[in-house]
Amino acid sequence: MALLDRSEWYDIARATQWTFQYVPEEEIFPEGHSGSEGISNEVWSTYDEPYKVTYREYVDVQRQKDSGVYSVKAALDRLDMYAKADPGWISILKLHYGAVSTVEYAAALQESRYVRWSKAPGMRNMATFGMLDEIRHAQAQLFFAHEYVSKDRQFDWSHESMKTQNWGVLAARHFFDDMLMSRDATSTAIMANFAFETGFTNLQFIGLASDASNAGDFTFAKLIQSIQSDEARHAQLGTPLLQILIENGQKDRAQRLIDIALWRSWKIFTILTGIPMDYYVPLEHRESSFKEFMEEWIIDQFARSLNELGLDKPWYWDILIRDLSEHHHGQQLGTWSWRPTLWWSPAAGVSPEERDWLEEKYPGWNKTFGKCWDVLTENLKNGHVEKTIPGTLPVICNMSNLPIVGTPFTHLKDHPWEYGGRLYHFGSEVDRWIFQQDPERYSQHKSLIDRFLSGDIEPADLGGVLAYMGIGVLSEGGGDAHDYSWVDKYRSIEAKVS
Amino acid sequence: MALFPITSNFEGDFVLKLVPVDDENTMAEVAEAAAVHSINLHVAEQPGKIIRARRAGESEPFPLEVKLKDSGLMPTECVDFYYE
Repeated sequence: MALLDRSEWYDIARATQWTFQYVPEEEIFPEGHSGSEGISNEVWSTYDEPYKVTYREYVDVQRQKDSGVYSVKAALDRLDMYAKADPGWISILKLHYGAVSTVEYAAALQESRYVRWSKAPGMRNMATFGMLDEIRHAQAQLFFAHEYVSKDRQFDWSHESMKTQNWGVLAARHFFDDMLMSRDATSTAIMANFAFETGFTNLQFIGLASDASNAGDFTFAKLIQSIQSDEARHAQLGTPLLQILIENGQKDRAQRLIDIALWRSWKIFTILTGIPMDYYVPLEHRESSFKEFMEEWIIDQFARSLNELGLDKPWYWDILIRDLSEHHHGQQLGTWSWRPTLWWSPAAGVSPEERDWLEEKYPGWNKTFGKCWDVLTENLKNGHVEKTIPGTLPVICNMSNLPIVGTPFTHLKDHPWEYGGRLYHFGSEVDRWIFQQDPERYSQHKSLIDRFLSGDIEPADLGGVLAYMGIGVLSEGGGDAHDYSWVDKYRSIEAKVS
Repeated sequence: MALFPITSNFEGDFVLKLVPVDDENTMAEVAEAAAVHSINLHVAEQPGKIIRARRAGESEPFPLEVKLKDSGLMPTECVDFYYE
């Protein structure tokens, strides 16, 4: 039997805007779940997804994608990339899989909420495919990471991380719960699909794929390129939604949601992408600096998307531009210094040649962040590893849940705010502004420091904190990725001089 | 005698640090406690100089002999430490 051409039946199949007779519409699409904001069904039915696909086509293409990824893995496993890879690259894999794999399942739930609650029929249809995408991403990344568990127990965090109270996980969960899991379908699609996916997943899945290929990890490169091909499709869910909101007087709401999501995404990606790109990727394999990728994907492309929709750049644009050269360098110093709290072993990335590269890409680095590394390096040269690990905890931002870092001598400060008798601490005025948009939404959450000070962590010492975070329980914590071998280069230079 | 945590912003450091001290400590003792977590770890020592403390953002330091409980600071409030 001949199949009808897609164009002959597609619009009929997706137009599921039924007239309900037995149940009030408000009970089927509660406002808190759908976020339709009084926009009529007639308007929602005009939602026109830019990417149209049928289930038959979808399954065929996805099967081909999976075949490609899994066959590359099978072929390259024989080459044993793992044994030959730079330890910094292995750390990238541990960080990535631990931070991303099970969040993909959360993203499947996110998309499923559009399937059920969105009032736009076209969006419900496309989100069904988005939901299946995210399940594929979770399963693939868990499978690929599982291969490495027998080689190193820290890969177990790929499956377990989100069940722990590790500080990095607290930060990721606070972010993803806020953006993916707890808002209505309309708000979530703007924040997650438009701001997060069109902006930031490019960084991780395209930027890092280039580095992976250069580093010889073609399996990981193929995997994340395959994932990004799905992201590029379902990320487009948000754009027609924004057009409807803007045309119906909801521009301010859309702008506020984008402003919140873009900043929160930026902060978490300084850890997930910024640090690996500028410090863990072996120097000879680096494609571009993190700042250069940010300028291409966010500062140019994302800003152009905003402009095309008639939206504005976020009010904090100048702060973001300055932060591109600064924030992740502080987080690198922090993660490396508190390396026993991590599920991966961070590369320091500050050998003499690497410092030259950092100074070239970030002029002024040596006079600021470099000064802190000078002290750490001096202690290591003298054999005092113990003097490179802090004896206290960093103060944590009550929005990003990351340590409050800044540029030494210039931009390090607390941005406090007292609310309900409690003193909150923020890493920037933007983090504080987000909290102030809806204090009741955020005020009950406790940062790791709040938990430590209120007696939730026992014994209240560093050993107790590590166990609370799953270190020594799931796996051992991190050390220096290269076991401090980079310090020998400084010893050699010193020997030549003397 | 009561635990009184403060947030330390030590000049030259890259991160704010939690410093547990006692409300009976003088600001000189508080500065000494903050220094333990920054000097020779992330910040180079400056021999011969003393460390002063001031409420974050203010220009005048606390007198060295003022006790923490009389400083007007709230628990976890940020204090700037710097060499003088």
